[in-house]
Amino acid sequence: MSPRTRYSLELVLDNLVWFMLVFVLAVFSIFIPNFAQLGIFANIIEASSVLGVMSIGLALVIIAGHMDLSVESVAALSAMAVGIMFCSSGIGLGLQLHPDWLMVPVSLAVALAVGAVIGVINGFLIVRLKMSAFIITLASYIWVRGLVLVVSGGRSAQDLAPAIRWFGIQRLAGLPLTAWIAIGCFVVFSLILAKTPFGRHLVMIGGNETATFRAGIRVNRNLIIAFVLAGAIAGLAGWLLAIRTSGATANLGVGLLFNAFAAVVIGGVSLKGGVGTLPGVYAGVLLLSAINTAINLMGLPANFTQVIHGLLVLAAVLLDAFKQTIRQRLA
Amino acid sequence: MSEPLLVLDNVTKNYGAIQALRGISFSIGRGEVVALLGDNGAGKSTLVKIIAGGLEPTSGRMLFEGKEFLARSPAEAKAAGIETVYQDLSLCTNVDVVANFFMGREITRKVLGVPVLDERAMEAVVGKALANAGTHIPSLRTKVEHLSGGQRQAIELNRFVHWGGKLVLLDEPFAALGVEQTRRGLDMIRQVASQGIGVVIITHIMQQAFQVADRIVVIRQGVVAGDVARNKTSPDAVINMITGETLAGAGPAG
Repeated sequence: MSPRTRYSLELVLDNLVWFMLVFVLAVFSIFIPNFAQLGIFANIIEASSVLGVMSIGLALVIIAGHMDLSVESVAALSAMAVGIMFCSSGIGLGLQLHPDWLMVPVSLAVALAVGAVIGVINGFLIVRLKMSAFIITLASYIWVRGLVLVVSGGRSAQDLAPAIRWFGIQRLAGLPLTAWIAIGCFVVFSLILAKTPFGRHLVMIGGNETATFRAGIRVNRNLIIAFVLAGAIAGLAGWLLAIRTSGATANLGVGLLFNAFAAVVIGGVSLKGGVGTLPGVYAGVLLLSAINTAINLMGLPANFTQVIHGLLVLAAVLLDAFKQTIRQRLA
Repeated sequence: MSEPLLVLDNVTKNYGAIQALRGISFSIGRGEVVALLGDNGAGKSTLVKIIAGGLEPTSGRMLFEGKEFLARSPAEAKAAGIETVYQDLSLCTNVDVVANFFMGREITRKVLGVPVLDERAMEAVVGKALANAGTHIPSLRTKVEHLSGGQRQAIELNRFVHWGGKLVLLDEPFAALGVEQTRRGLDMIRQVASQGIGVVIITHIMQQAFQVADRIVVIRQGVVAGDVARNKTSPDAVINMITGETLAGAGPAG
């Protein structure tokens, strides 16, 4: 095999999920009336912003060889914190800051801080005390959601301050600013993962933790940073969620975790760690969102979505195994 | 001989009630190749881990370049100039050859104040280092999981030759190598030593020890059972030391 065919084959394998996305969009455009229009595509991107941001944090931790089940609850808690502070009805306190725009950085800082604190707790327990990430973050998934119920008393906050809502309403090139924030996050974290020593170390830790420790990489420090990042990014997802729903309810975001897992796996991230890229994850997120939109447009009952998502995850895992065999032939 | 590079003074290591090392004392000079021999479970790997910063000794002290030395992590040992090649390879198979070569020491350039990997510079260095050592790997961008066992071990060996430092610890480095590659590996060790770097090599193969070492240190049941210059001993005498048929500290035989 000539180096060039080998190179192009590798390129296709590495970006398979993007080809799948294009294929699915093309099929939908042909067979579903009214699918092929800019408004629909913009809607696909818009609807995927919260899930997309959450998937970034989850993907970072999984690529580093661990797991974070708490991201969904963390996002809900951050959204609730923002909702309680800056909503004017329901359980909202209707906090006012002057000038108005000051509420944006303050609410964002609150959301990120809530996420980062839980990330620190997760990271410390998993890395320093060497406990299983699955169990620790499963516990966080439960207790953080419990905390949401406790602080809200099961009630909701509505009417988020207009200065914050602005991000969900103001559009740039047809997309709301919230969607641009998600895209921006993907660009920034893709660069961090692929181009910086920190990102490279995370990938290598996910591949062989012992080797990286022996090579003098500060594994514990890097892993704790990864968990804090996952928490803070989940906090950002919560902030976006609060904007999207103009408030927060006690059961906000339930079920997002499994969609995030699906997106990450479909995007080519291996649950064994060390494999995967963030652009792939974004393609996975868009793929899920495209399928949801298609189901809506076809007028199928929404209950079908879950069946299709499940099958998609299965297909992604099988595809991953298939890719492995092809790669072994290439080598 | 001038001041030794590394001195171990009565180093012990207990795992609970089990004494893995019961007091190890020996020294390594600059440019000297010491073969560390001993039966399975004699404590060789434990000793290497203590010097390399993977384990802390229970008691005893070490002097590195005349100064009190204790590595609490592999990073500290590396910073002091101690490189280690472990028997279970320390490669990340999910990344390419270049990334493995530079693991933890990536070349970066600043872009807007952020350190960014300088892939081109790193690839050039790796290409040169491998070419110098006569190792052929089709593409430096191949993930290590697609390489053969011999190629992987060659990467590890080239890595330590390149980074050098002051002291190199090799824990059974030739386990997966063929005859020709082993010969080249032994040449590499001599070449490294000739640059004034101290080398400790653990091996099970007597022939290798006699081919490459200046001095042979035998460990048995957690103590030094023999410490002799290679040209003053014989394989049979060393085997006796390993199995305990000769008294500890026995000198030249044969």
